[in-house]
Amino acid sequence: MGYRVGVDIGGTFADFCAFDEATGALRTLKVLSRPDAPGSEVMEGIRQLRSRFGIEPAQISYFTHGTTVGVNTVIQRKGVKLALLTTARFTDVLELARLKMPDPYDLLAVRPAPLIPKDMVFGIGGRVRADGGEDRPIDRAEVLAVAREARARGAEGIVVALLNAYRNPAQEHAVQAILRAEMPDLQVYCSADVWPVVREYERTITAVIHGYVQARVAHYLGSLQQALAREGVPAVAQVTKSNGGVMSAELGKTRCAQMILSGTASGVIGAAHVARLSGFPDTLSLDIGGTSADIAIIRDGQPQYGVGEVIGDFPIFLPTVAVTSIGAGGGSIAAVDELGVLRVGPESAGSTPGPACYGRGGERPTITDAMAVLGFIGQAELGYGAVTVDRARAVAAVGTVAHAMGVPVEQAAEAIIRIAVSGMYLEVSKLISRAGIDPREFALQAFGGAGPMLACFLAAELGMTHVVVPTTPGVLSALGGLVADVKNDFIRTVYLDLEPAAMAGIQAGFAQLGADARRWLAEEQGHHGAFRLVASADMRYRGQSYEIETALAAADIDAGRTAALAEAFHAAHERMFGHCDRAAAVQVINLRMIIVADSPKPALARLAAATGPAAPLRHVDVHVGGALRAVPLYARADLLPGHDFSGPAIIAQDDTTTCVPDGFTGTVDAYGHLILTLTARN
Amino acid sequence: MAVDKVTLQILANHCSAAAESMASTLLRTAHSTFVKETEDFTTGLADPDGKTFASPYELGVTWFVGLDYGRALRCIDRYEDGDIAVTNDPYSGFVCTHSPDMHVWKPIFHEGELVCFSVTHVHNTDVGGAVPASLSRTLTEVHQEGVRLPPVKLYKRGELNRDVRDILLANVRMPDQNWGDMNAQVACVNTGARKVGEMIARFGIDTFREGRAALLDHAEAQARRAIRGIPDGSYFFADYTDEDAVGGHPCRIAVRMIVKGDEILFDFSESDPQLNSSLNIPTGGNGRHAIIMVSYMYVMRLLDPEIFLNSGILRPIDSILPKGSVVNPEFPAAVGMRTLTTLRLQSVLLGAFAQALPGRLPAACGDGGPLLNVRTTDNRTGRKLMANLNPISGGAGGTARRGGAEGSGANFGFLKNTPIEISEAEVPVTILGYGLARDSGGAGQNRGGLGTEMEFEVHAPHSFVTARNRDRSRFAPWGLEGGEAGKTSAFLLNRGSNREVDLGNTDIVSIDPGDRVYLRSAGAGGWGRPWTRAADRVLADVRRGFVSQAAAEAEYGVVIRDGVVDEPATTARRTALEGAASGEAGFGFNRARRDYEAVWTRAAYEAFVRLVGALPVHWRYFVKQKLFSAVEALPPEQRRGDPAQLYALFDALAAEYPQLAAARAQAAE
Repeated sequence: MGYRVGVDIGGTFADFCAFDEATGALRTLKVLSRPDAPGSEVMEGIRQLRSRFGIEPAQISYFTHGTTVGVNTVIQRKGVKLALLTTARFTDVLELARLKMPDPYDLLAVRPAPLIPKDMVFGIGGRVRADGGEDRPIDRAEVLAVAREARARGAEGIVVALLNAYRNPAQEHAVQAILRAEMPDLQVYCSADVWPVVREYERTITAVIHGYVQARVAHYLGSLQQALAREGVPAVAQVTKSNGGVMSAELGKTRCAQMILSGTASGVIGAAHVARLSGFPDTLSLDIGGTSADIAIIRDGQPQYGVGEVIGDFPIFLPTVAVTSIGAGGGSIAAVDELGVLRVGPESAGSTPGPACYGRGGERPTITDAMAVLGFIGQAELGYGAVTVDRARAVAAVGTVAHAMGVPVEQAAEAIIRIAVSGMYLEVSKLISRAGIDPREFALQAFGGAGPMLACFLAAELGMTHVVVPTTPGVLSALGGLVADVKNDFIRTVYLDLEPAAMAGIQAGFAQLGADARRWLAEEQGHHGAFRLVASADMRYRGQSYEIETALAAADIDAGRTAALAEAFHAAHERMFGHCDRAAAVQVINLRMIIVADSPKPALARLAAATGPAAPLRHVDVHVGGALRAVPLYARADLLPGHDFSGPAIIAQDDTTTCVPDGFTGTVDAYGHLILTLTARN
Repeated sequence: MAVDKVTLQILANHCSAAAESMASTLLRTAHSTFVKETEDFTTGLADPDGKTFASPYELGVTWFVGLDYGRALRCIDRYEDGDIAVTNDPYSGFVCTHSPDMHVWKPIFHEGELVCFSVTHVHNTDVGGAVPASLSRTLTEVHQEGVRLPPVKLYKRGELNRDVRDILLANVRMPDQNWGDMNAQVACVNTGARKVGEMIARFGIDTFREGRAALLDHAEAQARRAIRGIPDGSYFFADYTDEDAVGGHPCRIAVRMIVKGDEILFDFSESDPQLNSSLNIPTGGNGRHAIIMVSYMYVMRLLDPEIFLNSGILRPIDSILPKGSVVNPEFPAAVGMRTLTTLRLQSVLLGAFAQALPGRLPAACGDGGPLLNVRTTDNRTGRKLMANLNPISGGAGGTARRGGAEGSGANFGFLKNTPIEISEAEVPVTILGYGLARDSGGAGQNRGGLGTEMEFEVHAPHSFVTARNRDRSRFAPWGLEGGEAGKTSAFLLNRGSNREVDLGNTDIVSIDPGDRVYLRSAGAGGWGRPWTRAADRVLADVRRGFVSQAAAEAEYGVVIRDGVVDEPATTARRTALEGAASGEAGFGFNRARRDYEAVWTRAAYEAFVRLVGALPVHWRYFVKQKLFSAVEALPPEQRRGDPAQLYALFDALAAEYPQLAAARAQAAE
């Protein structure tokens, strides 16, 4: 028996979760992130696990890791210098993207500068048709001439993204072979190898992001592996993936595009785990940090998946746990405009300088400062002692807004919270109406530094009755890494009409994907245990320009039941859009296969039930509803299964502060999750 | 008690959420690919007077902010709970601006009180009429543009009016699509009603009622504040569509923008008379019609990025829209292709604002490229297939601070393209190239954004290419502050071969295997004198293939030899360019426009507008054609561009057509 350790590195903190396989106990800690020396925080955390909890590195039997190295490389534009080879006369694929500007109401809108400037983009003469046939072959001499020019201009790597390569990657591979033979030190990435999806911009930008970060991520993972070995950690390091799974760190070195959004994804995986444990399988997860809030829909205890998540300025089209990010966090700044209207955000004080009350140089009032003014936070230590709250600074900062509004500072603080919450309401209601769900049937699970502080206010605005605060709301991504399964996605574009004549091709396609998946699991991931294969297809009615991913039964595929496959699509269309057309022709665009090898899930210990009523640490003065009231302040560790209490109340823990306003009552479930229930409208 | 500012902001967020939810519902449940892909729709909430006070910011088209439903609402006598009304008639209520736009509204009641309407429109792919998709420049009367529903109840107290449905569906080419989209609109307005109900439960009816008004008041206050920052004065600007009908003369839209304090009057009196083609913009003379004020909305947003986009921003303005003109046609003038004219109207207003707010606005964007559709046959199956190809869009104009976005942007930044791989998989076409058109951007200190170009071929005979909204092949997007105009658009068959045909502004062409179709949008205008652009920026443009070496030398005066700037040669060339420059650094018009305006001077045009404006409406376009042709027929050296010459030509015309003289006399009485 040993310890399973999950580590997730965020912008401010590196989070650690250590699960004791013998007792089921969970230990958590945070250390400050070291963007200047990535990886050193992992070692610092491992040392603290020993010094604080007596966990020896040699006892670490399983180790998962999520890193922001890839994402930061894109955001800070610190990737390698790349050249892009496209089909001749299509060299503007990155400049044009999909044309639509980020804000079509803005006359002065500009697109972000592409990751590969146009003078590093070269067209070459080969051409593959939409049916995969070759119209014009690759010209070896031309490829070499272009590559030499690219190198002369400083290219350290080359991305090859040719038209219709999703259908036939032979020309991309031919280019790669030519370059490997002649310039073996040059990295060459083929778009069809990174993710062979139809739509040239989407496939190209995905390959470009991959090539851009690959060297940086590989270097980082290599040093991490070495450091873990030095410390004597026996576990083979696994990294978390954007699809909510894990893969070995070794594999991560060459598949880095797949792990680029791992932090947000594993947060949702952790939230889904809590959603199942706490008995709220339909949940909206709400992770609020300093500058942004990430929201995800969890249905039946499962995260939802999508493509097109945004990294820095660019979308990436690999399968990713669907998360919507909104520009509102604890550091969102409040200001009064010239017409006397109070606005909150989108400008943020972030973690540097941070809210005024943190005393780290911030002077402008933030949501966190408003909470400090009211007395909701600052009553106990925050962030593992890393942050202290100075209410006087908060009062001074919020005072500027109060002065402009001509109201007392507490009233201004309440207004900041109300406006911030209504702004979040706007963004969340967009998400839920896009998904077509009714928020009243969902619980709101709050985590991240500022999630539990704001969740009850937002839940009331959305008409949601239940708020769940996990036991360890500050380290949910690290927990998610611990419960994540080994997982990989495979795709093949077929572009077929769904009719009996097409079935042989569909069956062959799935057979190939299944073989690829099994080979990946055994040979690349080195996993030889049980696994599942999950088949689906991106389907649509002929004439539509968007597809719906439709889960398909393996038995229907094997037996060639065209009608059953079509019916699965009709039903999915009906669920998604409220109507379907059983007489219309159906097309199959992509076949998909997911391979999953379940990882052992930590069996979290149930806590002993409380023996007496919940006892607050003390009562503190808080401004609620325009009056100063004595409000109980609880220590999270003192709240045990069976306890109940009612708002207003404040619950403090290392990770975060939970604010329970009037109208909410709280209970604690068997695992220690806080369940806050709206019982009365205030 | 008035709604306090904090509650107002919260209510604004809830109203936006309602409009966004309506938009998501519509987008999610719409049947037609057209609605889902192009997002050619709007949603919102309107007060009982029909003034919209909430619209979505992220979904839908940008052209209808503050659309006034008032006259359309009042076409129906009495509303009851459960009613849903529709119209797509451009001449009943003047909310609809061409027949494919189906407008739907639902009255929302609270305890018997009509508190607001939820409203939406979508562009239907087809509503019947003379041509598929219902739109063509060749149409001359609105009757040819499809079935029209005047404002009528589709649902009466929750009961579907089957007669209305059946009449509509009997007259359109793809009834399932229309009905599917109509049901999505019904779901959309019902979502709006539910969200309003939730707001009233949350805030109380009094706050909702007052808030509804306060939102409009606040937007008005924001707009007035923005306008106060614009110097008082009268600013004139005109721009032209290349043709006022297939193969016709140019159509001028002109505005005199009078800014006074916190109000603006837009006077369109010097614009063309109503046309005999479908390029008219139906406004019913509503001086605050949203379709007229698209650019005004963009400018308000530029001056105050926080401005609430609702009807309130239209209160400080008004316009003069002469009856029987292109901006206020009389029934039954055709209006289907008003998009083309509306784009020109946008550049006209932006040109006026550019004078009032020096240094704040971009030069003209690169429009004139078409929305493109191809219909061909699959040789393997014999099946006829049809698909949208890429819209051929242009870039944004240069600004005082930076070059314009390439390929799309400014008031043309809402279109999405279609992936080449999707087009090739959907229809048997081969796209030979798609990208930015080198040298198309107007030269300037800050270069205009490049236009896009595409070339393709089909593999089956008798294939049809439809290229809607083609323009700018003659009059290019203008530059600012001495920046050059962008390059004109192009539509060529078999470019560069001995079979090359210049298709000009043609919008439909039949092609066969072996034919190659080439399309290019205009480039956007540049900002500032080209020879002041830093030489290394010009060099970077050359290296990136955005500017050719030849154009670098000819237009920017930057001489590049072996990949580096030849400093002495550059200095000499730039000195020469500067010396040859004329006058002050104002608008940069292309030669075609300068030549045209040497003949059609402002004085001549004023005289022309006065002459035709005095005629009965049905004579105006006829006389315009005759007069313009007469001027064109004069030997170039005799074209004087003065009113006297025009009067003489008119008198000759009146002598030729005695009915004309009689009509004129009658109109004068």
